[in-house]
Amino acid sequence: MKQDREIPSLWSGMDRKALAIGEFTLRQQRKRLSTWVVFIVGIAAMGVMTMFYIDAMTRDYEAIDNDGDSYDWDGDGYPNGQEALYGTDALDTNSHPGILDPSILPDDPSVWINEDDFDWDSLAEGSVGKDDNGDCDVESRTASQKDANNNGIPCDIEITSERWNPNALVIRSDGNVDEDPDDEAYALEAIHRSFVLATGKLGVVFLIGIFVPLFMATGLIRNEMTSGTMHFMLAKPIARSEVFLYRLLGFYALAWVYLTVLIALLAVITGLTGPSEGFFRFSDLGVWMAVWLASLLAVMVYGMLFCTLGVMWKHGMVLALPFAAWELGMVLTTLGAPEASILRFSVIGWAMNIVDAGAALAWSDTPLLIQMGLWGGGNGPLEGSEGLNFFWSTPGLGLGALGTIIVSVLVLVFQTAACWLLGSALFKSKEIE
Amino acid sequence: MIPDMTQQGQPSQAPSPTTQNVPVVLFNGVSKSYGRIHALSNITLALSGGVTGILGMNGAGKSTLFKLLMGKLRPSAGEVKLFGTNPWKNPAPYARVGFVPEHEKMHDWMTALEFVSTFARLHGMTRSEAEKEAIRVLDFVGLSDVANKEIGRFSKGMRQRTKIAHALVNDPDLIILDEPLQGCDPLARTTIMNVIRELGKLGRTVLVSSHILNEIERITEQIVILHQGKLVALGNLHAIRERLDQIPHTIRIVGEDARALARDLLSHPAVFGVSFPNDRELLIQTYHFGQLHADLPRLIVENNHRVDMIDNPDDDLESLLNYLAGGSS
Repeated sequence: MKQDREIPSLWSGMDRKALAIGEFTLRQQRKRLSTWVVFIVGIAAMGVMTMFYIDAMTRDYEAIDNDGDSYDWDGDGYPNGQEALYGTDALDTNSHPGILDPSILPDDPSVWINEDDFDWDSLAEGSVGKDDNGDCDVESRTASQKDANNNGIPCDIEITSERWNPNALVIRSDGNVDEDPDDEAYALEAIHRSFVLATGKLGVVFLIGIFVPLFMATGLIRNEMTSGTMHFMLAKPIARSEVFLYRLLGFYALAWVYLTVLIALLAVITGLTGPSEGFFRFSDLGVWMAVWLASLLAVMVYGMLFCTLGVMWKHGMVLALPFAAWELGMVLTTLGAPEASILRFSVIGWAMNIVDAGAALAWSDTPLLIQMGLWGGGNGPLEGSEGLNFFWSTPGLGLGALGTIIVSVLVLVFQTAACWLLGSALFKSKEIE
Repeated sequence: MIPDMTQQGQPSQAPSPTTQNVPVVLFNGVSKSYGRIHALSNITLALSGGVTGILGMNGAGKSTLFKLLMGKLRPSAGEVKLFGTNPWKNPAPYARVGFVPEHEKMHDWMTALEFVSTFARLHGMTRSEAEKEAIRVLDFVGLSDVANKEIGRFSKGMRQRTKIAHALVNDPDLIILDEPLQGCDPLARTTIMNVIRELGKLGRTVLVSSHILNEIERITEQIVILHQGKLVALGNLHAIRERLDQIPHTIRIVGEDARALARDLLSHPAVFGVSFPNDRELLIQTYHFGQLHADLPRLIVENNHRVDMIDNPDDDLESLLNYLAGGSS
């Protein structure tokens, strides 16, 4: 007789109860119309947001002459900036670089727009900036004008901490230094980063992360109890806590694949559309990885929790909604006050920590970008800087980026395990009609 | 609480060490109540081996009895033991049990083969083992030709047979069938009855519930009768029936000439009254149901009557219960 017993392997060992229920759940969810409605609504919502983003990326940003030196007040054909550079009088038609020896030809006014871009490389206290167009260090200005911030270095920008709040920075310029930045470059970069953060944090991790489990996981156990089909599963030599866990595994398999596809799509679209020197913004991938990790973990906790609420009461959705409202409050708190300790009592607070830490690793220059934009050459905030400032948060645990990610992952896993234990205990004590 | 790490279907708690002298099913003073409604009161019952019919009207407590046995419900009082183990606390004995629930709802999107093999894997079988066993049991219940069709497209009888197949896949020692014949067409009914009888012959313990006396009669003689949550009779159906014969009974005969037939039958000592609802129909009242039934074919043949149908309109559970309840009061 042919020996047809299989060779035991990890796969054939696993491929019994856990995968039977997991696979069953996955296929059951796939056959449901409501699953696809939830998925398509999620993709459509992200799609609409992406369209606004693509519009913002392809729009022309007017190059603003932040310092006004492209104007020609006296009408002699020489822009004010050029006259200032050569020390001629910008208000006198007869005084211009053309009368100098050798004679200087007038510049096109557009040369004097965006001609003094940011030359900052850090946000550390000290001296930054470079006077690209030379309109600071001109002979017509006195030494004290050239060192208006009085730090002993002419034509620089000095960064100091505020006396009462070491985290707040004070930026003082000597004047005419980095005063006419490239508005379009700044706006594109800032809006791109704002979109990635806003979509990642609010769209994917929060909205998708909470609504997919709300509609798909709340009934994982409860629906089977109501319809009577749970009898088939519970008449087998399998503990109820196992049934609970394996049902969730099936849900995760579907929800995680969905999130992965959605995030990959967003990463590809923004990577190709966003401003970059190459054809693709590889630097964003770290942020998307953090969004991916955070959303998988958020779905993991929410799925376990909502399934537990479904076991607790047949209208588990009613219990889940106040919780979702609480999480909404918490997600808004993470934007304004990421260090608030009340965030420890939420799921989303920990998930947001992961995204913030990932963004801090991938885009370590963002705080600098925000400060430059808000300062805007001394002429007020540049377009895009306030939005970026709103969606960017420093991870609130004070552990550094990697430490924050590790601790947050552990906390979310712990929350999942706690929900599983609670849900299993409830399920075990339920009588099933 | 801890998942089965080996996934081999080994119970999370060890079953009781010896099951040699333990009855398969044991109810000891079991009651189940929902608030002030008593679904079951003080049931004491031990069963091992053979086919047992659980008879009772709707709401008599048959399903409650099974759900207590399957650990779906917790008894309000008393103890339930399945192979000597408390099923509410420990799912281990289900490795030896097949359960066919009464619920009509099934996973309609699966094929019969998928349904049976998926749940077979919960017994710790691998995918290929489960598929092999599923094909075997589907063949046993006569569904091998539709094994790859979706359950949603099955008739009531095919659905019932699929449920039975799913319960047999682990080759159980105890099979529990909750109203397996309800709503089935005659062909499915016969198939299911044959399957149950076959299982009994194989030495399995089978529990079948029904509210129709005739159905149970065709399957088994060993019965348990439940009425309003109480156990009213337990034992051999024939013994119960012999006592039942002593009470007034009605026999309904449909034939060509009811009046001529009545003349010949009235001479029989057991007959004490006749009536004619219409020209073709005859109702006979008797005190000795068994005796008259035995003589009836001879009387008909001897007198050359043509009879289309003989029926016992009150030979059903209701009259049996009336008798049993009346007898006890």
